[in-house]
Amino acid sequence: MWLPLFGLIVGLVVGFLLDWRVPQEYSSYLSIALLAGLDTIFGGIRSFLERTFNVRIFLSGFFFNTLFAAGLAFIGGFLGIDLYLAAIVAFGVRLFNNLAVIRRIVLSRWINQEE
Amino acid sequence: MLQKSRKITFILAIISAIIGVMLTVQLRSSLDPVHKESRSIAELRASLQKELEKHKNLLADISKYNQLYYQYETSLSEDESLSVMREELARNRKMGGMVAVEGPGIVLNIVDQVYDEHMMDEHVPPPVIGGYTIDDEDLRWLVNILFANGAQAVSVNGHRLISTTAIRNVGDVIQIDTRTVQPPYEMKALGEPEVLLSALKLEGVEEYFQLSNKHVIAEKQDNLMIPANTEERYIRFMKTVKEKGDS
Repeated sequence: MWLPLFGLIVGLVVGFLLDWRVPQEYSSYLSIALLAGLDTIFGGIRSFLERTFNVRIFLSGFFFNTLFAAGLAFIGGFLGIDLYLAAIVAFGVRLFNNLAVIRRIVLSRWINQEE
Repeated sequence: MLQKSRKITFILAIISAIIGVMLTVQLRSSLDPVHKESRSIAELRASLQKELEKHKNLLADISKYNQLYYQYETSLSEDESLSVMREELARNRKMGGMVAVEGPGIVLNIVDQVYDEHMMDEHVPPPVIGGYTIDDEDLRWLVNILFANGAQAVSVNGHRLISTTAIRNVGDVIQIDTRTVQPPYEMKALGEPEVLLSALKLEGVEEYFQLSNKHVIAEKQDNLMIPANTEERYIRFMKTVKEKGDS
């Protein structure tokens, strides 16, 4: 169970060491991709808790969501439509939704354990 | 089952590593953005002012440390600095014309034109012997050409020219500093022989001296000796300016 956490730390360290900087005009794409990634992670945790976790769905969701979110924002930038707002809203809502579901599951488990 | 869960955790680890990289990149970009300039001129000016101030301070620091370094260096190697001073003195003496020098260069001989029979054709007007003489001006011009084209040392009839040398007409003769020089004039110049020769050609020295029935024979020499200046020189009317920060 600790392996994902370890991976996260490794990723953080690698990111710090690589010292990449994204130009400001592209940082919105990265933030959207990041949001999509986080959303997928929480979705994965949620499905894990609900025992419906599927690696393929999780993996495809992660990559597809990330790339598509960034791509959508990019296309929106081209067309002059703030499509990234839509992505942010959608992913944000889903993120909070997932968080709420996770919280509920954890809480109910905890209460069940107490009883 | 165990196999599968291990695989899943592995995949999760990779995904979280990717997320981590993205997070840090985003963090970096937002904390320290690669920004395009969006500040106003006034702001820019203010920050430029600040940076210049910083730059000045840094420069002052550098010079301070350089001075310190120099002090240490000199205190470490007293005799080495002495040798450097000696070297510098020798160089200055050489440049100032106080020692004889040798090296590659050219010799210019200004002699009377010799006329053969076959040169006496109708195209050339008959020369007026003694019609023109060489002036101080001509010599100065020639010397100037030599110096302008990289001559390091020049002497006229064995008299080394230095920075305060005067070439002037006194009566009918030319004086260099306090000595009279008589024709035929012989000039020696240390420098790149090819450059000097081509400069003479370019300036039309040959043609110019032909007007006064003189012939300039220029030849290059690989090892030319130019004697030291023998004038008595005193330092008067000038004092060294003591400058701060002079090392």
